[in-house]
Formats: sequence, structure tokens, C-alpha cells
Amino acid sequence: MNSTLTGTIATYLAQVKAELADLPPGELEDVLDDVASHLTEVAAEFEQEPTEAQLRERLGTPRQYADELRTAAGYPTSPRPPAQDRDAAERSLRWAIIAGTVGPFFMLIGLFSGSSEPAGFFLLIGAGVLFGAALLGVRALGDRSPRIVLDTPRGAQGAEFVRGLIAQIPPNVRSELVSIGQPVWWVARGMLGGGGFFALFGAGAVAVVGAIAGAGVSVWIGRRSQQDRRWLWYVVPLNVVAILAVPAALAAGFVGTSNGLFSFSNYDSRSGIPPYTTGLALDGEPIQNLYPFDEQGRQVSVRLYTENGKPLNQPLNDCNATYGQGGPTVSNLFPQAVIESHDPGVAEPDPATETSRPEQCRDTTRAPFVPPPVPATPTHPTAGTTPAPSTTPTPVPSVTPSATPSSKPTTPGVTLTVTPTR
Amino acid sequence: MDPSQLLKGVLDLAVLAVLRDADGYGYDVLRRLRAAGLEDVADASVYGTLRRLFAAGALTSYVQPSEEGPHRKYYGLNQTGLDLLAESTKTWNHFAGTMAGLLTKKEEAA
Repeated sequence: MNSTLTGTIATYLAQVKAELADLPPGELEDVLDDVASHLTEVAAEFEQEPTEAQLRERLGTPRQYADELRTAAGYPTSPRPPAQDRDAAERSLRWAIIAGTVGPFFMLIGLFSGSSEPAGFFLLIGAGVLFGAALLGVRALGDRSPRIVLDTPRGAQGAEFVRGLIAQIPPNVRSELVSIGQPVWWVARGMLGGGGFFALFGAGAVAVVGAIAGAGVSVWIGRRSQQDRRWLWYVVPLNVVAILAVPAALAAGFVGTSNGLFSFSNYDSRSGIPPYTTGLALDGEPIQNLYPFDEQGRQVSVRLYTENGKPLNQPLNDCNATYGQGGPTVSNLFPQAVIESHDPGVAEPDPATETSRPEQCRDTTRAPFVPPPVPATPTHPTAGTTPAPSTTPTPVPSVTPSATPSSKPTTPGVTLTVTPTR
Repeated sequence: MDPSQLLKGVLDLAVLAVLRDADGYGYDVLRRLRAAGLEDVADASVYGTLRRLFAAGALTSYVQPSEEGPHRKYYGLNQTGLDLLAESTKTWNHFAGTMAGLLTKKEEAA
């Protein structure tokens, strides 16, 4: 009969059952049958499923209900010495406070620390404290309902304060918030928790999977904590963390700051596949490649490092990387080789060749642009470079005999200056 | 004076009286008590009282299917219950008379 009950009614019934646990088995079942049908009738008084607060207002706390039932039915009073109860509640509350403050504190340090390694360290400490304290709190409580914490002076004070805050919200907004906000909140905190956790280990794709899994777990925990209120011990501190972290993550996402967990830009490329937003940029525009030229305008190959000696690694887009034929996937050697394209201007041995097959793929480091003329520098008396057109009239006759094609009429100045340095 | 304190002593009698009119299930008894004016009666104590009276052998019990939901456990008075009701009524009337007399005298004296 009572197996058909769900939600807050089932929770209330379970709590009454816990209060009457000392009754002999047969009697307990019978009386719980009565309580179950009573709760069903009471629930029908409300237009929709009553909230826990509504049930308590209507019937008193499960403990009060059980005590009334006990007195009226002539059952012996509860064998539990109330003092022991209070002690357990005090202990539990103490652990809850420790879990609720120290744990999130460490986690926040983690969330806002600059890079991923200390972030992971502090997050793990925070999570450890949180779960350790929650576990001890649950153990201190034993089989008692966590609600007895509210019987202690500090617990009652805290509950009063929270109730005061909730009373500020208009009732219709309150029910809207619960019915719409709760599932959204479950999904949001789960995605952030799962995604954030896996983002620590790098790969973006893993973080996405983690976020989806986290959302699932979060919804499950949410449903679970509705059934068995002892789960609140875990859920409340985690919610505190999530309340702080969700807006922080959103803000970081919008502003695009590069703080700790929320950004991949300080991602260390040693540990795996590069995430989406890595790499170089100039004024916000991503840079695919760099083409260094020396003072004389010759293209050179260089390795680039940051001021910290960190290689300026950039994902490779050459044949090996594109077709997954092994070899490095990142490099700080510029210009990076890229797959040769089929621009009409570029000479191609076989115009019909497609680069869709690996064996026909060719790399090139040739700059895809004409380098601008090298500016004149006062330290090098290379007069022949830029003012070439003005000097051409005289040297041209002496050079032309060596069968220079007509296509290079303006380059002799360059060739002349380059030869001596070789 | 808190009516709920007074109620505790006479709840048995009130429940027996309600069941004398017609058999009823827990919630129905509760509703009838409220309708009669005992608005402060606590839900759980009515259910507890029914269980105790049943355990004491003053009530019969049977289950009837209901149209709206689960089966309902109906309670009715048996002979023991009727005897108990008669006896309790006598006790109550005597007590109420004594109290009334006491209060009236005091008022006259004042």
C-alpha cells in the first residue's frame, strides 16, 4: 500500500517510520499502513503535490507526528535518550560546517589559481575535505534524520535565517523557481562539475563527455536527495561550490579571461592533443603560420621561444599531421610546412593530382605571398636593394649579356647584393 | 486555556461518539471530529487513538476498496466499544456537571 507513495509523501513516511523503528515489526507495519493512507488523504487536500514545508505546516515534523501517534496509541515513549540525539546532531552539524566552509574554500582557490596544476591540487583537497567531513557527519548522525540538526540551537538559528531569506521571495516566483529552476540547476551544476573536472586532464572532447556525464550524475543525485534526505549532506556543500563556480565560469566564458580552469589558452601542449583555442594570434586574429625573413629579405627557418623559454608550439598542418602518419603534431619551427595547394600560380607537375590521398600529399614552406621590399637600413650600406629602379639604367647593359630572361628586369640589384655574402 | 490539552483527555470519548453514528476510516473520523467543532485535534492522535481502541478490543475493523485510491480501513463499534462509550459518557457528564457547578459557584461568590 505504501509502496505507491512518491516524492515528499514518501519522504515524510520514511521519516515517521524511522521515528517509530522501535515498535514490534507487525505493529509497525500496521501503523505505517495507517500513516500511508492518512498521508495520501492529506496530499489530496493540496492542488498539487505538497512540498515538504507544506506537509510540515499541516502535520508537524515527522517526529512530532510520530510522538502524537505514540502518545495516542499508548506505545511506549521513544527509547532513545534525547541527549544522545542532540550530541549526534551537534557533531553532525559541526562536520557539516567544516565541510561547507573549508572544502569550498580550497576549491575556490583551485578555481581561481592561475594554471591547471595547482588548480587540480586544490580542487582535490577541497573535494577530499568535503567528502571526508560529509562522511563523518553522516556517521555521527547514524540512522537519525538529518532534520534533528535543526533541533540544536545553532541549527535552528541557521534554518531561521534561511527561511527569512526565502520569505523575501514572492510565493508564485518561489514555485516557478523550484519547478523550472531545479532541473536547469541540476544540469548546469553537473555539466560544470563534470566538464571542469575533465578539463583539468586536458582534452576538450573528454571535457564535453565529462560534462554530459556530470549532468546525468547531478540529476540522479538530485532525485536521490529528494527521496533520502541524508544525501543533503553531500548535496548542500556541493551546491555551495557550484553556486560560486557556475557564475564564475559563465563570466570567464563571456569575458574570455585566461584564469585557471576556465581557459585552455595556458594549456600545456606536452600532455596531449591540443584543444580548440590554442595557438598564436595577432590582434585577435588567429595566426596559422609565420614566415621569417632575414635582413636581406631571404626566407629563413627559425625556432621560436617565449620569454620563459617555452617553445612557441603551433599545431602542424602538414601531410604527416593531416593524414595521421605519425611524427610530431606540434612544432615551433617556422615556417611550418603546409600542404601544397593547387593555386593556378603555383607550378604543379601534374595538374590532375589531388591531395586527398596521403601518398600524393606534398609539403611546402614557401611563403604564400610576395615578400615586400626590404626597407633601407642605415647600418648596412646595401644601396642596391631598394633604389634598384634608379640604378638599373647603368648596370643593366653589363648584365644582360649573361642571358637574363626579360621576366626579371627589376631584380638585378637584389642578386648583386646577395652574392657577396654567400 | 489550551483546548488541545483538554482534548487529550476526551479524545477517546469523541472518537467513540463519532463512530456510534456510522463506521468510518481514519481520515473520515478526523473530518467528522473537525466538522463537530473539534478543530484543534491533531491528525496523528486520531489515528493513534483508533489503533489503541482497536487493540483494546473496543472496535471492529474491515477493509473496503475506495473509488479514489487505496483500500480504506474502516472502524466500527462492537459491544465492548458501545459499553465503553456508555461508561465514558457517564463519567464525562459527571465531570462536566461537577466543573459547571464549581465554576457557577465561584462566579456567584465573586
